[in-house]
Amino acid sequence: MGKTLAEKILGSHTKKGDATAGEIVDATVDFLMVHEVLGSRIIPVLEEMGVEKVWDPERILVVNDHWAPAKDSMSAEIHQRNRNFVAKHSIKHFCDVNCGICHQVLPEMGLVKPGDLVVGSDSHSTSYGAFNAFSTGLAATDSALIIATGKCWFRVPESLRINISGNLPDMVMSKDLILKIVTDLGPDGANYKSIEFHGPTIDSMSVESRMTVANMSVEAGAKSGLMTVNDAVRTWVATRAPGVKWKEVVPDDDAEYVEQIDIDLEKELIDPIVAVPHSPSNGKPVSEVEGVKLDQAFIGSCTNGRLEDLEIAAKILKGKQINRSLRMIITPASRETYLQALRLGYIETFIEAGAIVTNSTCGACVGGHLGVLGSGEVCISSTNRNFRGRMGHPESLVYLASPATVAASALKGVIADPRSVQ
Amino acid sequence: MVKKLEQIKGRAWVFGNNVDTDQIIQGRYLTLLDYAEMAKHAFEIPRPEFASAVRKNDIIVAGRNFGGGSSREEAPQILAKTGVGCVVAESFARIFYRNGFNVGLPLMTVPEVASVVSDGMKLTVDLSEGTLRVDETGEVLKGDALPQMMLDLLRAGGAVPWFRQQK
Ligand code: SF4
Repeated sequence: MGKTLAEKILGSHTKKGDATAGEIVDATVDFLMVHEVLGSRIIPVLEEMGVEKVWDPERILVVNDHWAPAKDSMSAEIHQRNRNFVAKHSIKHFCDVNCGICHQVLPEMGLVKPGDLVVGSDSHSTSYGAFNAFSTGLAATDSALIIATGKCWFRVPESLRINISGNLPDMVMSKDLILKIVTDLGPDGANYKSIEFHGPTIDSMSVESRMTVANMSVEAGAKSGLMTVNDAVRTWVATRAPGVKWKEVVPDDDAEYVEQIDIDLEKELIDPIVAVPHSPSNGKPVSEVEGVKLDQAFIGSCTNGRLEDLEIAAKILKGKQINRSLRMIITPASRETYLQALRLGYIETFIEAGAIVTNSTCGACVGGHLGVLGSGEVCISSTNRNFRGRMGHPESLVYLASPATVAASALKGVIADPRSVQ
Repeated sequence: MVKKLEQIKGRAWVFGNNVDTDQIIQGRYLTLLDYAEMAKHAFEIPRPEFASAVRKNDIIVAGRNFGGGSSREEAPQILAKTGVGCVVAESFARIFYRNGFNVGLPLMTVPEVASVVSDGMKLTVDLSEGTLRVDETGEVLKGDALPQMMLDLLRAGGAVPWFRQQK
Protein backbone atom coordinates (compact mmCIF):
# COMPACT_ATOMS: atom_id res chain seq x y z
CA MET A 1 0.00 0.00 0.00
CA GLY A 2 1.25 3.48 -0.85
CA LYS A 3 1.92 6.19 1.71
CA THR A 4 0.30 9.53 2.39
CA LEU A 5 2.28 12.74 2.99
CA ALA A 6 1.81 12.34 6.74
CA GLU A 7 3.00 8.73 6.71
CA LYS A 8 6.02 9.58 4.57
CA ILE A 9 7.21 12.59 6.55
CA LEU A 10 6.59 11.04 9.96
CA GLY A 11 8.09 7.75 8.78
CA SER A 12 11.30 9.43 7.63
CA HIS A 13 11.74 10.78 11.16
CA THR A 14 11.57 7.42 12.90
CA LYS A 15 14.33 4.90 13.51
CA LYS A 16 12.80 2.27 11.29
CA GLY A 17 12.08 4.85 8.59
CA ASP A 18 8.47 3.90 8.19
CA ALA A 19 5.08 4.86 9.58
CA THR A 20 1.54 3.69 8.97
CA ALA A 21 -1.69 5.39 9.96
CA GLY A 22 -2.95 4.31 13.37
CA GLU A 23 0.46 3.37 14.70
CA ILE A 24 2.15 5.25 17.56
CA VAL A 25 5.72 6.21 16.63
CA ASP A 26 8.63 7.84 18.37
CA ALA A 27 9.91 10.55 16.02
CA THR A 28 12.89 12.87 15.96
CA VAL A 29 11.75 16.44 15.55
CA ASP A 30 13.58 18.85 13.19
CA PHE A 31 12.44 22.05 14.79
CA LEU A 32 10.47 23.39 17.75
CA MET A 33 8.75 26.77 18.03
CA VAL A 34 7.71 28.09 21.44
CA HIS A 35 6.22 31.44 22.44
CA GLU A 36 5.07 32.84 25.78
CA VAL A 37 4.08 29.31 26.77
CA LEU A 38 7.82 28.76 27.33
CA GLY A 39 8.01 31.29 30.12
CA SER A 40 4.61 30.62 31.62
CA ARG A 41 4.37 26.82 31.43
CA ILE A 42 7.28 25.00 29.79
CA ILE A 43 10.09 26.26 32.01
CA PRO A 44 8.29 25.10 35.19
CA VAL A 45 7.79 21.65 33.59
CA LEU A 46 11.50 21.51 32.63
CA GLU A 47 12.38 22.38 36.21
CA GLU A 48 10.08 19.69 37.53
CA MET A 49 11.63 17.20 35.14
CA GLY A 50 15.11 18.21 36.20
CA VAL A 51 16.20 19.10 32.66
CA GLU A 52 19.39 21.18 32.64
CA LYS A 53 20.31 21.13 28.98
CA VAL A 54 18.32 21.67 25.79
CA TRP A 55 18.66 19.01 23.12
CA ASP A 56 19.81 21.41 20.40
CA PRO A 57 19.94 25.20 20.83
CA GLU A 58 19.97 25.64 17.04
CA ARG A 59 16.67 23.87 16.51
CA ILE A 60 14.46 26.03 18.68
CA LEU A 61 12.79 29.35 17.93
CA VAL A 62 11.54 31.41 20.86
CA VAL A 63 9.03 34.17 20.07
CA ASN A 64 7.52 36.84 22.31
CA ASP A 65 4.42 37.61 20.29
CA HIS A 66 1.16 37.15 22.15
CA TRP A 67 1.30 40.30 24.21
CA ALA A 68 3.97 42.26 22.40
CA PRO A 69 5.09 44.59 23.84
CA ALA A 70 4.01 43.45 27.30
CA LYS A 71 0.47 44.49 28.16
CA ASP A 72 0.96 44.22 31.92
CA SER A 73 3.57 43.23 34.45
CA MET A 74 2.63 39.54 34.27
CA SER A 75 3.30 39.33 30.54
CA ALA A 76 6.46 41.40 31.04
CA GLU A 77 7.72 38.78 33.47
CA ILE A 78 6.93 35.96 31.06
CA HIS A 79 8.90 37.78 28.36
CA GLN A 80 11.75 38.23 30.80
CA ARG A 81 11.80 34.52 31.55
CA ASN A 82 11.96 33.79 27.82
CA ARG A 83 14.90 36.19 27.38
CA ASN A 84 16.74 34.59 30.29
CA PHE A 85 16.13 31.11 28.89
CA VAL A 86 17.43 32.17 25.47
CA ALA A 87 20.57 33.64 27.03
CA LYS A 88 21.17 30.77 29.43
CA HIS A 89 20.88 28.06 26.78
CA SER A 90 22.36 30.08 23.89
CA ILE A 91 19.21 29.58 21.83
CA LYS A 92 20.12 30.60 18.30
CA HIS A 93 16.77 31.81 17.03
CA PHE A 94 14.94 34.38 19.10
CA CYS A 95 12.29 36.92 18.17
CA ASP A 96 11.59 39.45 20.85
CA VAL A 97 8.54 41.72 21.05
CA ASN A 98 9.60 43.73 18.00
CA CYS A 99 9.48 40.82 15.58
CA GLY A 100 6.01 39.57 14.81
CA ILE A 101 3.69 36.58 15.11
CA CYS A 102 5.38 33.19 15.49
CA HIS A 103 3.81 31.44 12.49
CA GLN A 104 4.81 34.30 10.21
CA VAL A 105 8.34 34.83 11.48
CA LEU A 106 9.39 31.17 11.51
CA PRO A 107 9.03 30.80 7.71
CA GLU A 108 10.40 34.32 7.16
CA MET A 109 13.56 33.31 9.00
CA GLY A 110 13.93 30.30 6.71
CA LEU A 111 13.45 27.85 9.56
CA VAL A 112 11.12 25.46 7.74
CA LYS A 113 11.77 23.46 4.60
CA PRO A 114 9.92 20.73 2.71
CA GLY A 115 9.97 17.32 4.39
CA ASP A 116 10.60 18.71 7.88
CA LEU A 117 8.86 17.64 11.07
CA VAL A 118 8.06 20.79 13.02
CA VAL A 119 6.27 21.15 16.34
CA GLY A 120 4.99 24.38 17.85
CA SER A 121 3.58 25.09 21.28
CA ASP A 122 0.58 26.58 19.52
CA SER A 123 -2.38 25.02 17.76
CA HIS A 124 -1.91 27.01 14.54
CA SER A 125 1.47 25.38 13.97
CA THR A 126 -0.35 23.54 11.17
CA SER A 127 0.58 26.65 9.11
CA TYR A 128 3.92 25.18 7.98
CA GLY A 129 2.08 22.44 6.10
CA ALA A 130 2.03 25.06 3.33
CA PHE A 131 5.76 24.35 2.98
CA ASN A 132 5.36 20.58 2.61
CA ALA A 133 6.42 20.09 6.24
CA PHE A 134 4.52 17.94 8.73
CA SER A 135 3.83 20.44 11.46
CA THR A 136 1.48 20.35 14.36
CA GLY A 137 0.67 22.04 17.64
CA LEU A 138 1.37 20.50 21.01
CA ALA A 139 1.29 21.98 24.47
CA ALA A 140 3.69 22.67 27.32
CA THR A 141 4.53 19.20 28.55
CA ASP A 142 5.16 17.80 25.08
CA SER A 143 7.25 20.86 24.22
CA ALA A 144 9.27 20.31 27.38
CA LEU A 145 9.86 16.68 26.43
CA ILE A 146 11.09 17.83 23.01
CA ILE A 147 13.37 20.47 24.54
CA ALA A 148 14.83 17.70 26.69
CA THR A 149 15.14 14.94 24.10
CA GLY A 150 14.40 16.22 20.57
CA LYS A 151 11.87 13.44 20.36
CA CYS A 152 8.15 13.11 20.59
CA TRP A 153 5.58 10.37 20.20
CA PHE A 154 2.90 10.73 17.55
CA ARG A 155 -0.08 8.69 16.57
CA VAL A 156 0.30 8.57 12.80
CA PRO A 157 -2.89 10.19 11.51
CA GLU A 158 -5.26 8.91 8.88
CA SER A 159 -5.46 11.34 5.97
CA LEU A 160 -8.27 13.15 4.25
CA ARG A 161 -7.55 14.35 0.72
CA ILE A 162 -9.11 17.51 -0.70
CA ASN A 163 -8.59 18.18 -4.40
CA ILE A 164 -9.31 21.74 -5.46
CA SER A 165 -9.49 23.01 -9.03
CA GLY A 166 -10.55 26.25 -10.68
CA ASN A 167 -9.75 29.88 -9.99
CA LEU A 168 -10.91 31.93 -7.05
CA PRO A 169 -13.10 34.74 -8.38
CA ASP A 170 -12.19 38.38 -7.87
CA MET A 171 -12.39 39.49 -4.20
CA VAL A 172 -12.69 35.89 -3.07
CA MET A 173 -9.63 34.77 -1.15
CA SER A 174 -8.11 31.55 0.14
CA LYS A 175 -9.69 32.50 3.50
CA ASP A 176 -13.13 32.12 1.94
CA LEU A 177 -12.11 28.72 0.59
CA ILE A 178 -10.89 27.42 3.95
CA LEU A 179 -13.93 28.85 5.78
CA LYS A 180 -16.07 26.90 3.33
CA ILE A 181 -14.02 23.74 3.84
CA VAL A 182 -14.09 24.03 7.65
CA THR A 183 -17.85 24.63 7.50
CA ASP A 184 -18.38 21.58 5.27
CA LEU A 185 -16.23 19.39 7.52
CA GLY A 186 -17.54 20.74 10.83
CA PRO A 187 -15.45 21.61 13.90
CA ASP A 188 -14.31 18.01 14.39
CA GLY A 189 -14.64 16.76 10.81
CA ALA A 190 -10.91 16.17 10.57
CA ASN A 191 -10.23 15.40 14.25
CA TYR A 192 -7.05 13.31 14.68
CA LYS A 193 -6.60 13.38 10.89
CA SER A 194 -4.19 15.00 8.51
CA ILE A 195 -5.70 16.97 5.64
CA GLU A 196 -3.85 16.90 2.31
CA PHE A 197 -4.71 19.79 0.01
CA HIS A 198 -4.04 19.10 -3.67
CA GLY A 199 -5.00 20.36 -7.10
CA PRO A 200 -4.30 23.23 -9.50
CA THR A 201 -5.85 25.87 -7.21
CA ILE A 202 -3.46 25.02 -4.39
CA ASP A 203 -0.52 24.64 -6.81
CA SER A 204 -1.01 28.14 -8.19
CA MET A 205 -1.48 29.86 -4.81
CA SER A 206 0.97 32.28 -3.23
CA VAL A 207 2.79 31.15 -0.09
CA GLU A 208 0.62 33.56 1.87
CA SER A 209 -2.67 32.15 0.59
CA ARG A 210 -1.47 28.60 1.20
CA MET A 211 -0.51 29.45 4.77
CA THR A 212 -4.02 30.74 5.47
CA VAL A 213 -5.46 27.40 4.36
CA ALA A 214 -2.96 25.28 6.31
CA ASN A 215 -3.33 27.53 9.35
CA MET A 216 -7.09 27.05 9.62
CA SER A 217 -7.05 23.29 9.02
CA VAL A 218 -6.92 22.98 12.77
CA GLU A 219 -10.37 24.58 12.99
CA ALA A 220 -11.74 21.30 11.62
CA GLY A 221 -9.70 19.49 14.27
CA ALA A 222 -6.91 18.44 11.89
CA LYS A 223 -3.50 17.45 13.18
CA SER A 224 -1.86 18.90 10.08
CA GLY A 225 -2.78 20.55 6.80
CA LEU A 226 -0.30 19.37 4.21
CA MET A 227 0.52 20.46 0.67
CA THR A 228 3.11 19.49 -1.91
CA VAL A 229 5.71 22.00 -3.06
CA ASN A 230 4.89 24.62 -5.71
CA ASP A 231 7.02 27.31 -7.40
CA ALA A 232 6.15 29.93 -4.81
CA VAL A 233 7.41 27.65 -2.03
CA ARG A 234 10.56 26.78 -4.01
CA THR A 235 11.39 30.45 -4.44
CA TRP A 236 10.58 31.20 -0.80
CA VAL A 237 12.83 28.49 0.58
CA ALA A 238 15.64 29.27 -1.88
CA THR A 239 15.57 32.93 -0.80
CA ARG A 240 15.05 32.42 2.92
CA ALA A 241 17.23 29.39 3.49
CA PRO A 242 19.85 29.65 0.74
CA GLY A 243 22.15 26.67 0.42
CA VAL A 244 20.03 24.47 2.66
CA LYS A 245 19.33 21.07 1.08
CA TRP A 246 15.83 19.64 1.03
CA LYS A 247 13.78 17.14 -0.87
CA GLU A 248 10.16 17.48 -1.81
CA VAL A 249 7.78 14.84 -0.46
CA VAL A 250 4.85 13.64 -2.56
CA PRO A 251 2.23 11.07 -1.60
CA ASP A 252 2.15 7.74 -3.46
CA ASP A 253 -0.51 7.32 -6.13
CA ASP A 254 -2.00 4.40 -4.24
CA ALA A 255 -1.89 6.07 -0.82
CA GLU A 256 -4.91 5.30 1.32
CA TYR A 257 -7.24 8.13 2.32
CA VAL A 258 -10.18 7.87 4.67
CA GLU A 259 -12.02 10.27 2.41
CA GLN A 260 -11.48 12.23 -0.79
CA ILE A 261 -13.31 15.47 -1.47
CA ASP A 262 -13.28 17.28 -4.82
CA ILE A 263 -14.00 20.97 -5.00
CA ASP A 264 -14.36 22.52 -8.45
CA LEU A 265 -14.48 26.28 -8.12
CA GLU A 266 -15.72 26.67 -11.70
CA LYS A 267 -18.86 24.74 -10.83
CA GLU A 268 -19.16 25.71 -7.18
CA LEU A 269 -18.34 29.36 -7.56
CA ILE A 270 -17.70 30.37 -4.01
CA ASP A 271 -18.91 33.63 -2.62
CA PRO A 272 -17.05 35.45 0.11
CA ILE A 273 -17.79 33.50 3.29
CA VAL A 274 -18.41 34.86 6.77
CA ALA A 275 -18.31 32.54 9.82
CA VAL A 276 -20.93 33.72 12.28
CA PRO A 277 -20.53 33.41 16.08
CA HIS A 278 -19.38 31.26 17.84
CA SER A 279 -17.58 28.82 15.56
CA PRO A 280 -15.25 29.04 12.56
CA SER A 281 -17.35 26.27 11.05
CA ASN A 282 -20.47 28.47 10.97
CA GLY A 283 -19.66 29.78 7.49
CA LYS A 284 -22.36 31.47 5.43
CA PRO A 285 -22.26 33.30 2.10
CA VAL A 286 -21.74 37.00 2.84
CA SER A 287 -25.18 37.79 1.34
CA GLU A 288 -26.84 36.10 4.33
CA VAL A 289 -25.19 38.38 6.88
CA GLU A 290 -24.87 41.64 4.95
CA GLY A 291 -26.04 44.59 7.02
CA VAL A 292 -25.03 43.29 10.47
CA LYS A 293 -23.97 46.39 12.44
CA LEU A 294 -20.34 46.50 13.56
CA ASP A 295 -18.32 48.17 16.31
CA GLN A 296 -14.90 47.00 15.18
CA ALA A 297 -13.14 45.69 12.09
CA PHE A 298 -9.85 43.87 12.58
CA ILE A 299 -7.22 42.75 10.06
CA GLY A 300 -4.29 40.83 11.45
CA SER A 301 -3.14 37.50 12.93
CA CYS A 302 -1.24 34.49 11.63
CA THR A 303 -4.21 33.73 9.39
CA ASN A 304 -4.56 36.98 7.46
CA GLY A 305 -2.09 39.68 8.45
CA ARG A 306 0.34 39.13 5.59
CA LEU A 307 1.32 41.41 2.72
CA GLU A 308 -1.31 40.23 0.22
CA ASP A 309 -3.95 40.69 2.94
CA LEU A 310 -2.83 44.25 3.56
CA GLU A 311 -2.60 44.83 -0.19
CA ILE A 312 -6.22 43.93 -0.88
CA ALA A 313 -7.37 45.97 2.12
CA ALA A 314 -5.36 48.97 0.89
CA LYS A 315 -6.89 48.59 -2.55
CA ILE A 316 -10.39 48.72 -1.06
CA LEU A 317 -9.67 51.55 1.40
CA LYS A 318 -7.56 53.75 -0.89
CA GLY A 319 -8.86 57.31 -0.93
CA LYS A 320 -11.91 56.43 1.19
CA GLN A 321 -12.94 56.86 4.81
CA ILE A 322 -14.02 54.07 7.11
CA ASN A 323 -17.51 54.41 8.54
CA ARG A 324 -17.58 56.60 11.62
CA SER A 325 -19.69 54.11 13.53
CA LEU A 326 -16.77 51.71 13.97
CA ARG A 327 -13.06 51.56 14.62
CA MET A 328 -10.71 49.66 12.37
CA ILE A 329 -7.53 48.05 13.66
CA ILE A 330 -4.82 46.68 11.39
CA THR A 331 -1.97 44.59 12.79
CA PRO A 332 0.65 43.45 10.25
CA ALA A 333 1.75 39.87 10.96
CA SER A 334 5.43 40.70 11.25
CA ARG A 335 7.91 43.52 11.24
CA GLU A 336 8.92 42.50 7.73
CA THR A 337 5.31 42.66 6.54
CA TYR A 338 4.92 46.03 8.24
CA LEU A 339 8.01 47.44 6.52
CA GLN A 340 6.94 46.17 3.11
CA ALA A 341 3.46 47.62 3.58
CA LEU A 342 5.01 50.88 4.69
CA ARG A 343 7.20 51.10 1.60
CA LEU A 344 4.28 50.28 -0.68
CA GLY A 345 2.18 53.04 0.87
CA TYR A 346 -0.46 50.75 2.39
CA ILE A 347 0.13 51.98 5.93
CA GLU A 348 -0.45 55.55 4.83
CA THR A 349 -3.63 54.50 3.04
CA PHE A 350 -4.90 52.82 6.23
CA ILE A 351 -4.16 55.75 8.48
CA GLU A 352 -5.67 58.21 6.01
CA ALA A 353 -8.79 56.07 5.84
CA GLY A 354 -9.15 56.35 9.61
CA ALA A 355 -7.76 52.95 10.66
CA ILE A 356 -5.38 52.35 13.55
CA VAL A 357 -2.20 50.48 12.61
CA THR A 358 -0.52 48.65 15.49
CA ASN A 359 2.84 46.95 15.83
CA SER A 360 3.02 43.24 14.98
CA THR A 361 1.54 41.14 17.77
CA CYS A 362 -1.19 38.58 18.33
CA GLY A 363 -2.98 41.38 20.16
CA ALA A 364 -6.67 41.57 19.38
CA CYS A 365 -6.84 38.02 17.93
CA VAL A 366 -6.59 36.44 21.37
CA GLY A 367 -8.37 39.22 23.25
CA GLY A 368 -5.03 40.19 24.73
CA HIS A 369 -4.60 43.87 24.00
CA LEU A 370 -4.88 46.50 21.24
CA GLY A 371 -8.51 45.93 20.36
CA VAL A 372 -10.27 43.96 23.10
CA LEU A 373 -14.07 43.87 22.72
CA GLY A 374 -16.55 45.07 25.30
CA SER A 375 -19.90 43.58 26.26
CA GLY A 376 -22.30 43.35 23.34
CA GLU A 377 -19.77 44.62 20.82
CA VAL A 378 -19.65 43.17 17.33
CA CYS A 379 -16.43 42.68 15.39
CA ILE A 380 -15.61 41.45 11.91
CA SER A 381 -12.19 39.91 11.95
CA SER A 382 -9.69 38.33 9.56
CA THR A 383 -8.54 35.98 12.34
CA ASN A 384 -9.23 32.28 12.79
CA ARG A 385 -11.42 31.84 15.87
CA ASN A 386 -14.69 33.36 16.95
CA PHE A 387 -15.32 31.28 20.04
CA ARG A 388 -17.37 32.97 22.73
CA GLY A 389 -15.12 35.43 24.55
CA ARG A 390 -12.15 34.86 22.22
CA MET A 391 -11.58 38.55 21.47
CA GLY A 392 -12.76 39.94 24.78
CA HIS A 393 -16.05 40.06 26.64
CA PRO A 394 -18.07 36.80 26.70
CA GLU A 395 -21.03 38.78 25.40
CA SER A 396 -19.16 40.13 22.38
CA LEU A 397 -19.70 38.71 18.88
CA VAL A 398 -17.00 37.91 16.33
CA TYR A 399 -17.62 37.29 12.62
CA LEU A 400 -14.69 35.77 10.71
CA ALA A 401 -14.02 36.82 7.14
CA SER A 402 -11.33 37.55 4.57
CA PRO A 403 -9.38 40.82 4.76
CA ALA A 404 -11.29 41.98 1.66
CA THR A 405 -14.64 41.46 3.39
CA VAL A 406 -13.34 43.11 6.57
CA ALA A 407 -12.13 46.16 4.63
CA ALA A 408 -15.38 46.50 2.69
CA SER A 409 -17.35 46.18 5.93
CA ALA A 410 -15.21 48.87 7.56
CA LEU A 411 -16.25 51.28 4.82
CA LYS A 412 -19.94 50.55 5.31
CA GLY A 413 -20.07 50.13 9.07
CA VAL A 414 -21.97 46.89 8.53
CA ILE A 415 -20.98 43.51 7.12
CA ALA A 416 -20.57 44.04 3.39
CA ASP A 417 -19.69 42.11 0.25
CA PRO A 418 -16.26 43.21 -0.98
CA ARG A 419 -17.58 42.99 -4.56
CA SER A 420 -20.04 45.76 -3.73
CA VAL A 421 -17.48 48.44 -2.91
CA GLN A 422 -15.27 48.29 -5.98
CA MET B 1 6.06 3.92 41.87
CA VAL B 2 3.36 2.37 39.74
CA LYS B 3 0.00 3.96 40.38
CA LYS B 4 -3.02 1.74 40.11
CA LEU B 5 -5.91 3.10 38.15
CA GLU B 6 -8.68 3.09 40.70
CA GLN B 7 -12.37 3.53 40.13
CA ILE B 8 -13.48 7.15 40.11
CA LYS B 9 -16.76 7.96 41.84
CA GLY B 10 -18.32 11.37 41.53
CA ARG B 11 -21.17 13.61 40.43
CA ALA B 12 -21.73 14.47 36.79
CA TRP B 13 -21.43 17.92 35.26
CA VAL B 14 -22.95 17.58 31.82
CA PHE B 15 -21.92 19.72 28.84
CA GLY B 16 -22.92 19.69 25.18
CA ASN B 17 -20.89 19.31 21.98
CA ASN B 18 -17.83 21.38 21.00
CA VAL B 19 -16.88 22.78 24.40
CA ASP B 20 -13.74 24.64 23.28
CA THR B 21 -10.74 25.58 25.40
CA ASP B 22 -11.92 29.19 25.70
CA GLN B 23 -15.01 27.86 27.48
CA ILE B 24 -12.81 25.89 29.87
CA ILE B 25 -10.42 28.77 30.52
CA GLN B 26 -10.48 32.09 28.67
CA GLY B 27 -7.34 33.39 26.97
CA ARG B 28 -7.31 36.45 29.19
CA TYR B 29 -6.39 34.40 32.25
CA LEU B 30 -3.35 32.79 30.66
CA THR B 31 -0.89 35.22 32.22
CA LEU B 32 -1.86 33.96 35.69
CA LEU B 33 0.96 31.67 36.68
CA ASP B 34 -0.74 29.99 39.62
CA TYR B 35 -3.02 27.19 38.41
CA ALA B 36 -5.08 27.39 41.59
CA GLU B 37 -5.83 31.07 40.87
CA MET B 38 -6.64 30.26 37.28
CA ALA B 39 -8.88 27.38 38.29
CA LYS B 40 -11.26 29.89 39.90
CA HIS B 41 -12.23 30.79 36.34
CA ALA B 42 -12.85 27.24 35.09
CA PHE B 43 -15.90 27.04 32.80
CA GLU B 44 -16.61 30.68 33.62
CA ILE B 45 -18.54 31.29 30.40
CA PRO B 46 -20.78 28.18 30.16
CA ARG B 47 -21.11 27.36 33.90
CA PRO B 48 -20.15 30.33 36.08
CA GLU B 49 -21.13 28.38 39.23
CA PHE B 50 -18.73 25.53 38.44
CA ALA B 51 -15.56 26.72 40.14
CA SER B 52 -17.20 27.25 43.51
CA ALA B 53 -19.51 24.22 43.44
CA VAL B 54 -17.23 21.52 42.02
CA ARG B 55 -16.23 18.75 44.44
CA LYS B 56 -13.33 16.35 44.44
CA ASN B 57 -13.71 13.55 41.90
CA ASP B 58 -16.66 15.15 40.13
CA ILE B 59 -16.91 13.91 36.57
CA ILE B 60 -17.23 16.08 33.48
CA VAL B 61 -19.52 14.50 30.92
CA ALA B 62 -19.63 16.01 27.46
CA GLY B 63 -20.76 15.43 23.90
CA ARG B 64 -18.54 15.47 20.84
CA ASN B 65 -15.22 17.28 20.38
CA PHE B 66 -14.50 18.31 23.95
CA GLY B 67 -11.52 20.66 24.28
CA GLY B 68 -11.23 21.95 20.71
CA GLY B 69 -9.44 25.15 19.82
CA SER B 70 -6.27 26.31 21.45
CA SER B 71 -3.48 23.96 22.47
CA ARG B 72 -3.47 25.45 25.97
CA GLU B 73 -2.50 22.83 28.52
CA GLU B 74 -3.99 25.12 31.14
CA ALA B 75 -7.39 23.67 30.19
CA PRO B 76 -6.82 20.12 31.50
CA GLN B 77 -4.46 21.44 34.22
CA ILE B 78 -7.09 23.59 35.85
CA LEU B 79 -9.71 20.84 35.61
CA ALA B 80 -7.29 18.59 37.46
CA LYS B 81 -6.68 21.43 39.93
CA THR B 82 -10.39 21.85 40.69
CA GLY B 83 -10.41 18.17 41.66
CA VAL B 84 -12.22 16.81 38.61
CA GLY B 85 -11.74 13.03 38.67
CA CYS B 86 -12.04 12.46 34.98
CA VAL B 87 -13.64 13.69 31.79
CA VAL B 88 -15.90 11.36 29.84
CA ALA B 89 -16.90 12.59 26.39
CA GLU B 90 -18.27 11.22 23.16
CA SER B 91 -15.06 12.44 21.52
CA PHE B 92 -12.14 14.71 22.36
CA ALA B 93 -10.24 17.26 20.33
CA ARG B 94 -6.80 15.89 19.54
CA ILE B 95 -4.52 18.24 21.47
CA PHE B 96 -6.75 18.24 24.55
CA TYR B 97 -6.72 14.45 24.57
CA ARG B 98 -2.95 14.35 24.58
CA ASN B 99 -2.66 17.13 27.16
CA GLY B 100 -5.08 15.44 29.53
CA PHE B 101 -2.90 12.36 29.90
CA ASN B 102 0.27 14.45 30.00
CA VAL B 103 -1.01 16.27 33.08
CA GLY B 104 -2.45 13.10 34.61
CA LEU B 105 -6.14 13.92 34.05
CA PRO B 106 -7.94 10.73 32.98
CA LEU B 107 -10.07 10.97 29.86
CA MET B 108 -12.39 8.34 28.48
CA THR B 109 -14.37 8.19 25.26
CA VAL B 110 -17.89 6.79 25.64
CA PRO B 111 -20.40 6.95 22.79
CA GLU B 112 -23.70 8.77 23.53
CA VAL B 113 -22.74 9.44 27.13
CA ALA B 114 -24.08 13.01 27.09
CA SER B 115 -27.59 11.87 26.22
CA VAL B 116 -27.69 9.17 28.90
CA VAL B 117 -26.22 11.05 31.85
CA SER B 118 -27.81 14.16 33.35
CA ASP B 119 -26.40 16.79 35.64
CA GLY B 120 -25.80 15.71 39.23
CA MET B 121 -26.10 11.95 38.61
CA LYS B 122 -23.68 9.82 40.59
CA LEU B 123 -21.27 7.89 38.38
CA THR B 124 -18.56 5.28 38.73
CA VAL B 125 -15.84 5.24 36.09
CA ASP B 126 -13.49 2.30 35.73
CA LEU B 127 -10.60 3.30 33.49
CA SER B 128 -8.96 -0.10 33.43
CA GLU B 129 -12.20 -1.70 32.20
CA GLY B 130 -13.26 1.30 30.16
CA THR B 131 -16.73 1.49 31.68
CA LEU B 132 -19.02 4.11 33.17
CA ARG B 133 -21.82 3.13 35.56
CA VAL B 134 -24.79 5.34 36.35
CA ASP B 135 -25.24 4.53 40.03
CA GLU B 136 -28.97 5.39 40.27
CA THR B 137 -30.06 3.14 37.41
CA GLY B 138 -27.21 0.66 37.37
CA GLU B 139 -26.84 1.22 33.64
CA VAL B 140 -23.31 0.52 32.42
CA LEU B 141 -21.89 2.25 29.34
CA LYS B 142 -18.92 0.77 27.56
CA GLY B 143 -16.17 3.13 26.48
CA ASP B 144 -13.05 2.80 24.37
CA ALA B 145 -10.13 1.00 25.96
CA LEU B 146 -7.16 3.30 26.53
CA PRO B 147 -4.04 2.83 24.37
CA GLN B 148 -1.06 1.45 26.32
CA MET B 149 0.82 4.76 26.07
CA MET B 150 -2.05 6.56 27.86
CA LEU B 151 -2.31 3.92 30.58
CA ASP B 152 1.44 4.23 31.18
CA LEU B 153 1.17 8.01 31.50
CA LEU B 154 -1.77 7.81 33.91
CA ARG B 155 -0.14 5.13 36.02
CA ALA B 156 2.95 7.28 36.34
CA GLY B 157 0.79 10.29 37.25
CA GLY B 158 1.45 12.26 34.06
CA ALA B 159 4.28 12.91 31.61
CA VAL B 160 6.65 14.57 34.08
CA PRO B 161 6.87 11.65 36.51
CA TRP B 162 6.82 9.31 33.49
CA PHE B 163 9.87 11.13 32.07
CA ARG B 164 11.67 10.91 35.42
CA GLN B 165 11.06 7.16 35.48
CA GLN B 166 12.55 6.79 31.99
CA LYS B 167 15.72 8.69 32.87
S1 SF4 C 1 -2.32 35.51 15.82
FE1 SF4 C 1 -3.97 34.60 17.02
S2 SF4 C 1 -4.18 32.52 16.28
FE2 SF4 C 1 -2.21 33.30 15.54
S3 SF4 C 1 -0.72 32.63 17.05
FE3 SF4 C 1 -1.40 34.66 17.65
S4 SF4 C 1 -3.12 34.32 19.07
FE4 SF4 C 1 -2.75 32.41 17.98
